[in-house]
Amino acid sequence: MPAHAEAAVLAPVPGGPTVIDLKERVRSTASDRFMPYLLGATAIFSGLIVTLIVFFVVQKAWPVFHTEGLRFITTSGWDTQLEDAWNGSAFFGVRALIAGSAFSTLGALLVSFVLGLGCAIFLAELAPAWLRRPFETIVQLLAGIPSVVFGLLGLMVVVTFIADHMVPGNSGDVVTEIPIGGACLLAAIVVLTFMILPFFVTVATDSLRAVPRSYVDGGLALGMTRWRTIMRIQLPTAAPGLIAGLVLAAARGIGEAIAISMVAGAIAFVPNLAHGPLYMLLEPIRSMASAIVENGGEAMDVPAIAAALFGLATLLLLFSITLSMIARWAFGLFSRRMGVVSDRNL
Amino acid sequence: MGSITKQGNRRIGSRIGIALCWAASIAVAAVCLFIIGYLVFQGWHAINWHFLSSDPVASLSEDSAGGVRTPMVGTAILVIFSIVLILPVAIGAAVYLAEYMHERWWITRIVRIGLETLASVPSVVFGMFGLAVFTLGFFKFLSSSGTEGGSMAFGRSFLVASIVMGVHVLPFVIKVAEEAIRSIPASLRQGALALGMTKWRTIRKVVLPAAAPGIATAVVLGMGLAAGDTAIVWLTLGGTMTMASDAWWKISNWLPVLRGAGSTLTTFIYFNSPAGDGNSPGAAFGAALVLIVLVLVLNLTAQLLFRRGSKAGS
Amino acid sequence: MSGTRPPVSAIRKDVPVSDTFMTADPRDTFSLLEGMLSSSAPRVRAGVAPAVFEVRALDVSYGSKRVLHDVSLELPEKRITAFIGPSGCGKSTALRCLNRMNDEIPSFHSRGKIMLAGQDIRGKGVDLTALRRAVGMVFQQPNPFPMSVYDNIALAVGEHEGRIARSTLDGIVEQALRQASLWEEVKDGLKGSALALSGGQQQRLCIARALAVKPAVIMLDEPCASLDPISTARIEELLLELSTDYSIVIVTHNMAQAKRISDKVAFFLMGRLVEMGDALQVFEAPARSETAEYISGSFG
Repeated sequence: MPAHAEAAVLAPVPGGPTVIDLKERVRSTASDRFMPYLLGATAIFSGLIVTLIVFFVVQKAWPVFHTEGLRFITTSGWDTQLEDAWNGSAFFGVRALIAGSAFSTLGALLVSFVLGLGCAIFLAELAPAWLRRPFETIVQLLAGIPSVVFGLLGLMVVVTFIADHMVPGNSGDVVTEIPIGGACLLAAIVVLTFMILPFFVTVATDSLRAVPRSYVDGGLALGMTRWRTIMRIQLPTAAPGLIAGLVLAAARGIGEAIAISMVAGAIAFVPNLAHGPLYMLLEPIRSMASAIVENGGEAMDVPAIAAALFGLATLLLLFSITLSMIARWAFGLFSRRMGVVSDRNL
Repeated sequence: MGSITKQGNRRIGSRIGIALCWAASIAVAAVCLFIIGYLVFQGWHAINWHFLSSDPVASLSEDSAGGVRTPMVGTAILVIFSIVLILPVAIGAAVYLAEYMHERWWITRIVRIGLETLASVPSVVFGMFGLAVFTLGFFKFLSSSGTEGGSMAFGRSFLVASIVMGVHVLPFVIKVAEEAIRSIPASLRQGALALGMTKWRTIRKVVLPAAAPGIATAVVLGMGLAAGDTAIVWLTLGGTMTMASDAWWKISNWLPVLRGAGSTLTTFIYFNSPAGDGNSPGAAFGAALVLIVLVLVLNLTAQLLFRRGSKAGS
Repeated sequence: MSGTRPPVSAIRKDVPVSDTFMTADPRDTFSLLEGMLSSSAPRVRAGVAPAVFEVRALDVSYGSKRVLHDVSLELPEKRITAFIGPSGCGKSTALRCLNRMNDEIPSFHSRGKIMLAGQDIRGKGVDLTALRRAVGMVFQQPNPFPMSVYDNIALAVGEHEGRIARSTLDGIVEQALRQASLWEEVKDGLKGSALALSGGQQQRLCIARALAVKPAVIMLDEPCASLDPISTARIEELLLELSTDYSIVIVTHNMAQAKRISDKVAFFLMGRLVEMGDALQVFEAPARSETAEYISGSFG
């Protein structure tokens, strides 16, 4: 039976302690104890900022919702109402603005879905290795261009082009309500497309890449062409990820204020299909976001206008939060389908 | 044997599909390069030393907008301040999310959803939020009052804009920083713990220094975002072409300048474009070129830092 | 049966032996390998050692999965004890209980007593940092911090000594590196990155780091698993030297290694301690049939 060591005394280690005392506090641990709480506070605070935003914005918008209720979103006539507000009236209907946001964003989503899907398939499957990084850099570059630069270029290039080459001379006869110029829905769609494209492309590329190789190999082994494996296997599998990408792009599109205000004509008008598709595209629009930024200066001094603008901000909040939730759900669907068990968002 | 023409059609369809993808990618690349090229082409002759070193001139006659110095200073102030203000919060939250928070807690889900939604809020709404909060009388110290003696604060100043911009940029910085911290291998943490280091000291002395390049990437990306935003600046800073004091470099003038309104490159462009009140597209292009160069440099720096970080970790 | 150690004298200390096969002098390589191959008999060391660690009835589970059943053993002081057994048998888990590294895992659950020098390491008031100072650990994959060689050791020392004079710190760093037989190789490059060292050098740096805080026990979890035979031999030789001053526990799946260097052997199988005894006895005449089967290579 080996002799038990006397409590806390061991044969000495050269230069080391002769006694091991496990109860001895070697270093002060004050910071160890409160640091997790401090850090936790910052994390929780960051997570709750969005509720602060909702609170303050809705609170300031309350007057307009209280007096008008749903008529806020069902009535048109923003431009004249704005003028009247300077004279004391306080009624606003933003239907035209909602339509402006909807038309421009949907149009941009359509085009950027088609273009973006091509780019995503290219990046994920078709590009030779040496081309991949440069093209990814280009897409990231596009994402980094400030919106005001898009607006500037849109004005100087797209709007001028439309005005010079697309507007028929007799447009005044067809569309009698407002003058037709280069600044219109079409310009907004063109500019917005390239602004939201990178968001969709990055998510779509990642989704396509996440499809397990074994699925694709199975298809190829059955004699399918590369293209068919992409179309029939990869795209359907990656669909929830693609949806998430679209939703993120849509959120970006709805929120864009500066570029739209610069190229879309700044007239709150609902594009009218009855005039034919060409004219519909040539009609100017105003979006919810651009209306805010256009009137956010001096007009804020008029309480009624301020309330209306906050009302618009509330609507934008509503849309973006909803879209964010949908994207989160789509990502969750995608992760589960890929077999990735993870609580973290992509 | 199946029909050979059917297989032929299939192959043609395949070729067309692939060609379309190539076409789309080439189109997008072309547009991007066109944007940069056109900017350089149009903005190049506006840029000279005079342009970069003199202040804007409020003028309605064409192409006499003066220089771009004040807006550049404005952008610099805004970018630096917004990052400085939120950096402690961002790193703190990132550390907590990466090291202490368990994914199973209910509070974790709340924080993650909160950050995600925050990231999706459009910047115009942030601007309005800033106006809603910082016009409360309590915040008078943040902005020089537009109307003397009123119970409301003016609500527009560099300080207000920096705070709002910081909040806008916060979720992105947290996300990238958290990834950087998570990517530090567990073996390093285990080694430190086995040496008798406590968790916080492990984080402070081993994990954070190792994650420094990644965190720097997050900061630089945030700066790029802050530099390029217009809506927040327009709403919370206004579009005035001058600042509270011309001699902004004197430290004694710093507080009045921060509490005053001003402009940045983005609002300068907005103002001087044909859509704004100004009428100097030339100056707008010049400023746009400066802005693009700034954003490009920041993005490139972020990429370099990122690559250096991942090399050091392996 | 006199135990033979690898002929230490065959390795000339003044000639730096690199960790790769490209040694300065091929004769050093061959004498090293010769030493490894020739000592096929286990060691015997004189004297009876008191127990530095006493484990009684240790049960460990992760969540609902039971990993260790009723393990009881005593680790002798200033000897080398080897934990052997097939993968998944629980030897690494047992090791990690000794410095309470398992506490970091959320689903970890344990029962039983673990006494270090007569104190219950899980008792009230026990300071984890003090425990881990007394019981150092070296991991399977070398994990030096991404800092300079000097800072790797200085950081560990600074943890426990607080603020000390630069010259004292220099001395501690040098002594630790000498003890780990790494000093000659890095003394001119102390400020260089630790990640630039070879695998074997990094592992010796980790040993130096553990030594610098003056532990009483050093635990190593398959420390040579990712190293080539030359580096392995150097570390084995190092451990033999260190065992005159420190108590060493090593987990290894390499039975030849256990035979070469250990004084006592504990054989684990499926979460139970099947047999423990002197290396000589366990390898030449195991008491249990499972031990005999494992040693003869019937499974692994």
